[in-house]
Amino acid sequence: MISAPDVVAFTKEDEYEEEPYSEPPLPEEYSVPLFPFANQGANPWSKLSGAKFSRDFILISEFSEQVGPQPLLTIPNDTKVFGTFDLNYFSLRIMSVDYQASFVGHPPGSAYPKLNFVEDSKVVLGDSKEGAFAYVHHLTLYDLEARGFVRPFCMAYISADQHKIMQQFQELSAEFSKASECLKSGNRKAFAGELEKKLKDLDYTRTVLHTETEIQKKANDKGFYSSQAIEKANELASVEKSIIEHQDLLKQIRSYPHRKVKGSDSCPGEMAHTQDQADPASTTSILDESADPDIYTCRPAYTPKLIKAKSTKCFDKKLKTLEELCDTEYFTQTLAQLSHIEHMFRGDLCYLLTSQIDRTLLKQQHITNFLFEDFVEVDDKVVEKRESVPSQPSQDRLPSRSLEECPIPKVLISVGSYKSSVESVLIKMDQELGDEEYKEVEVTESSSFDPQENLDYLDMDMKGSISSGESIEVLGTEKSAAVLSKSDSQASLTVPLSPQVVRSKAVSHRTISEDSIEVLSTCPSEALIPDDFKASYPSAINEEESYADNEGAIEFKASISPLELGEAQEGGLENTPPQIDSSCCIGKENHGQLVPLPTPAHTLSDEDGVVSIPPQRYRQKDQGFHVDFAVEDTNPSRDDSCEAFPAYELDPSRLLASRDVSKTSLDNYSDTTSYVSSVASSSSDRTPSSAHPVSLSSERHRKRAGQNALRFIRQYPFAHPAIYSLLSGRTLVVLGEDETIVRKLVTALSIFVPNHGHCAKPVKHWVSSPLHIMDFQKWKLIGLQRVASPGSAGTLHALSRYSRYTSILDLDNKTLRCPLYRGTLVPRLADHRTQIKRGGTYYLHVQSMLTQLCSKAFLYTFCHHLHLPAHDRETEAIVASRQLSFLKLNLGLVNEDIRVVQYLAELLKLHYMQESPGTSNPMLRFDYVPSFLYKI
Amino acid sequence: MSTLCPPPSPAVAKTEIALSGESPLLAATFAYWDNILGPRVRHIWAPKTEQVLLSDGEITFLANHTLNGEILRNAESGAIDVKFFVLSEKGVIIVSLIFDGNWNGDRSTYGLSIILPQTELSFYLPLHRVCVDRLTHIIRKGRIWMHKERQENVQKIVLEGSERMEDQGQSIIPMLTGEVIPVMELLSSMKSHSVPEEIDIADTVLNDDDIGDSCHEGFLLNAISSHLQTCGCSVVVGSSAEKVNKIVRTLCLFLTPAERKCSRLCEAESSFKYESGLFVQGLLKDSTGSFVLPFRQVMYAPYPTTHIDVDVNTVKQMPPCHEHIYNQRRYMRSELTAFWRATSEEDMAQDTIIYTDESFTPDLNIFQDVLHRDTLVKAFLDQVFHLKPGLSLRSTFLAQFLLVLHRKALTLIRYIEDDTQKGKKPFKSLRNLKIDLDLTAEGDLNIIMALAEKIKPGLHSFIFGRPFYTSVQERDVLMTF
Repeated sequence: MISAPDVVAFTKEDEYEEEPYSEPPLPEEYSVPLFPFANQGANPWSKLSGAKFSRDFILISEFSEQVGPQPLLTIPNDTKVFGTFDLNYFSLRIMSVDYQASFVGHPPGSAYPKLNFVEDSKVVLGDSKEGAFAYVHHLTLYDLEARGFVRPFCMAYISADQHKIMQQFQELSAEFSKASECLKSGNRKAFAGELEKKLKDLDYTRTVLHTETEIQKKANDKGFYSSQAIEKANELASVEKSIIEHQDLLKQIRSYPHRKVKGSDSCPGEMAHTQDQADPASTTSILDESADPDIYTCRPAYTPKLIKAKSTKCFDKKLKTLEELCDTEYFTQTLAQLSHIEHMFRGDLCYLLTSQIDRTLLKQQHITNFLFEDFVEVDDKVVEKRESVPSQPSQDRLPSRSLEECPIPKVLISVGSYKSSVESVLIKMDQELGDEEYKEVEVTESSSFDPQENLDYLDMDMKGSISSGESIEVLGTEKSAAVLSKSDSQASLTVPLSPQVVRSKAVSHRTISEDSIEVLSTCPSEALIPDDFKASYPSAINEEESYADNEGAIEFKASISPLELGEAQEGGLENTPPQIDSSCCIGKENHGQLVPLPTPAHTLSDEDGVVSIPPQRYRQKDQGFHVDFAVEDTNPSRDDSCEAFPAYELDPSRLLASRDVSKTSLDNYSDTTSYVSSVASSSSDRTPSSAHPVSLSSERHRKRAGQNALRFIRQYPFAHPAIYSLLSGRTLVVLGEDETIVRKLVTALSIFVPNHGHCAKPVKHWVSSPLHIMDFQKWKLIGLQRVASPGSAGTLHALSRYSRYTSILDLDNKTLRCPLYRGTLVPRLADHRTQIKRGGTYYLHVQSMLTQLCSKAFLYTFCHHLHLPAHDRETEAIVASRQLSFLKLNLGLVNEDIRVVQYLAELLKLHYMQESPGTSNPMLRFDYVPSFLYKI
Repeated sequence: MSTLCPPPSPAVAKTEIALSGESPLLAATFAYWDNILGPRVRHIWAPKTEQVLLSDGEITFLANHTLNGEILRNAESGAIDVKFFVLSEKGVIIVSLIFDGNWNGDRSTYGLSIILPQTELSFYLPLHRVCVDRLTHIIRKGRIWMHKERQENVQKIVLEGSERMEDQGQSIIPMLTGEVIPVMELLSSMKSHSVPEEIDIADTVLNDDDIGDSCHEGFLLNAISSHLQTCGCSVVVGSSAEKVNKIVRTLCLFLTPAERKCSRLCEAESSFKYESGLFVQGLLKDSTGSFVLPFRQVMYAPYPTTHIDVDVNTVKQMPPCHEHIYNQRRYMRSELTAFWRATSEEDMAQDTIIYTDESFTPDLNIFQDVLHRDTLVKAFLDQVFHLKPGLSLRSTFLAQFLLVLHRKALTLIRYIEDDTQKGKKPFKSLRNLKIDLDLTAEGDLNIIMALAEKIKPGLHSFIFGRPFYTSVQERDVLMTF
């Protein structure tokens, strides 16, 4: 395998390190160090330590005809950045490469000076002793007063990492070309203006000289010219020549764009020019000289002056500054571009490389990106996709939209061949586009919604919000599944029973549970409370009453960073009293159900500053749910009993035994509860603050989210089931008094929440009003305010009624109520013993683990043979068992991990089936898995 | 190319090189800084072509300018600096290696450059490192030669008296020729046989209906796993060009587009030479059914290599990065020392030098069996064939797999960065790292470390430190912390 002749001198280390005495040893300068980090303290991160500057910066230098190479400015303009680095010396070094010295002036055989439109040169060089390496972009600007009309400049990106410059060469070159083109465009404009002025001066001078000559001619009666007259005539001829020369120069500079377009189509600046024309709306593009009709034309305000034929000596004059050479507007634009470059290439090369690789790879997986990838990255692809389909109407232009903005509710056609044990109920969310939201959409210019369509929705929404008596009902019937599965079409369900009632729709599937709850009806909720409701309800109270315990405190820090302040502001907006108080609306619209209240609701809201739960709502609720409160009030000891018998709750067999009993009743109960909650929710949704999409793109935000998540998993032993809830699509409500703490935790946990579509994550950071069933459809992670007022107990009860849909993390009491988790996935994702120290690192770890998870879900979703029957006689049960076996054996999943992958697969499938990937159809999910109460 | 160049310097020696294929290289030059005349060109190498794209005058003009500003040279002792020019006005790119050396009694600055048309920029950039590494090493040797020759000539002049100093030092040119020609051949072969940036998965083993259709399951697993463990650097040898190229393309799927452009397919009829520094290269066995790898060049590759024989389905790999780099540097030092000690021109002749110390035989058995099993590639291969071929599903799944690897590599870098405070402290918690990042399988750790090494060079050496006779032992020691 190895050729013998290549066996060059190869001695043992000890031997060859000891040079023979007779011969001088190999000088170190001719050798190579034995170790990559031979110097003391050298390591893969220490490249920058040798340099005298603290981080990369951009230097603009000029080869001045008066003083030679000189630095002009740096970006960032902060002396701390370049420190003691000798800019003068480095300018000298980088400007000494004079490839730009092409001929300018009178070329042989040409009568007039010719402008040579020199192409930019790019050079990478370095100063290994100083540890400074640079990408240098040379360009030439025109100056009428400069020697040969040219002023050589260069822009240099200076870094301590040579590999960074070479590996990013093409990107640097492209970005600097844009900046250069901007400077040159401005310079051509300024140069043309200068020529125009000069021509006017020359014209005026010629006129004056001509007049003087004529006077002298007339005065001359001797028949020969005086020396003075000859001098004047020569001067006139010189001016005439100068005029022709300058006219020619003006012609040349004016002809530039055409020549460039003809000559070269690869110039980035010209490309930008073309793009600008294609996209007039673009505001960040480099200024386009052709767009300015005034370019190359004379300013009318200019007053010509008499000039001397001979120009001044070059050392007598003051050279123009770069800003003067380029027109202030273009100069400012260039500086902005250079700042952008500095920002773009800042930092360690490994992060730049990885982000580039990431982007490339993410482009290839647009099917799964929506689940956990950052919105900015996802959105890039959406934009790209749109660009590739120009005929498509421009929709969804906003980089990240709130969840409430984006979905136009649609009836989803369910895919019958794919079912899971987790219920999914699709509900038409007419109320979601309320007045305020519509206004928000209207304000946003790039909104995706068709105004007429919105008006229609608005119309419906108004009706929807008025008819708050409607609710979603899920009836439990043993035999209904088959009936409904045959009539899966939801068209009939969309027909409202009453013109004033917008019916909600739901479809659910069950495959595992023996009883099926498939029937959907839209009818007044009061009529549908089954008789056995009361029998099953107390157990629900038992489960929920522990939440009333307000002991304990969370240990999160309360420091507020700028971003948190933003969130807090958002919270503030949310908490501002609604202009139209919901209860007032209710009062007007539901006279039959309301008990007249002595105090106007808005007064209460104003006083509180925060939308607390107004008592009148509960008065209203009491119409339908007085039983709940009666039970609660009359059984204060239930909480104790619950505490006294934790084994009851934690015993799965016991819970399983009672499972069937509670299924139907709880379903009914929960869904009936939505009647009231829908009223409350729709009113709370009227607050100006809609969902606030948390942009995870910010590195700082990632770090903070990671840090808080890390803290959470270290502090809470029940972090695993909480994370499992999020990953499996079960809404997690984080309950607490302190908004800052709740928001922090919600932000931290949001990294585990899968998205529904190319919208904001289904996360509501802070809600102070009671939750509605639709909130569980929309949000998968909710921060909920615990209100200390006596009336707030009702909120907790309302919450307890949704135990079918939610897991509840009580921060104040440090308890968690959610289903059991026994998988292996989450422990690897969130190990409390982890030695990961920083939030950013933990975020990366989570990201890589979630990518792995996505990959599994993708495989499971698109594995054809898993989901399609092998032959006609194959039953669904066999298909299901095959799927389960695949999940266990091929994907190595155990217990609840299977549900996670199934849920993600379901999201993938739904996303894939949608016509427009920008819209999402949130699902209301519920299952029949018993919940457990975890305590610290 | 621009014709606005000054007239050429008189009498610049030129070597014309006949290449079998198209040469993207316009010329190579060797220039020096004359203390009286400024930059001067000593030698030009150019491919022999019918169409002259760049006249000697233009080449001289460009080469002279590579030394522009080098009068201000401020370099570390022994440094070989790289300058890179993209001169749109001339339509060329120039790569110059600038170094100081002693020649003819003077310490001066020299520049060895290669010139390519600007249209080849995107072709050249992925190969920049390969070219620079190879030219750098020949400069190291040439510098020693110049130094020694000067000493010898001074002695000769003292003894014999009459010889002119200017004629000395010429013999560095044959030495440089010995590397310039292979670089030209490499670029020429890459022009015709480089792996495309985008690979159609249909041309690879991953398009098979089932695992094992094209090649044995265990072989494929070993090949991909080892390929990833050696930083994506592999040599695929075999008797059938088609078979070799299928594996080459398959392995290239796991590389970045730029790395693919630095990989080469196998030639159908005759075999290319092994080229140090390419990521994946396919090589055809000769009629005797063997392919001899040049030990020196394999050692000089920037990363360890996986050797894959598609005829007998064997996979062998070199030791991990830190060991490879250590061995490589030892070898380089010994080679340079041998040059320094050589007493005659024959001893110093390129490629024929054999200087073995009788007390030591180098270990030629640098390729070993793949010892460490991984779960990442195994799971990937177990799963990917479940997806229907012919659709884009497998490509998407592959992209997900690569994304996982890259994200894990970045996480690993961050983890070490945090733990060592960016290298200020030694890294001691390998066991924790493996548990925390879910890399408990040794093969998994190797794969992720190899990826991390590519984006953070020197990571292996930093983690495993100086005493690294065997990486396994070292790791075992670390595991005890």
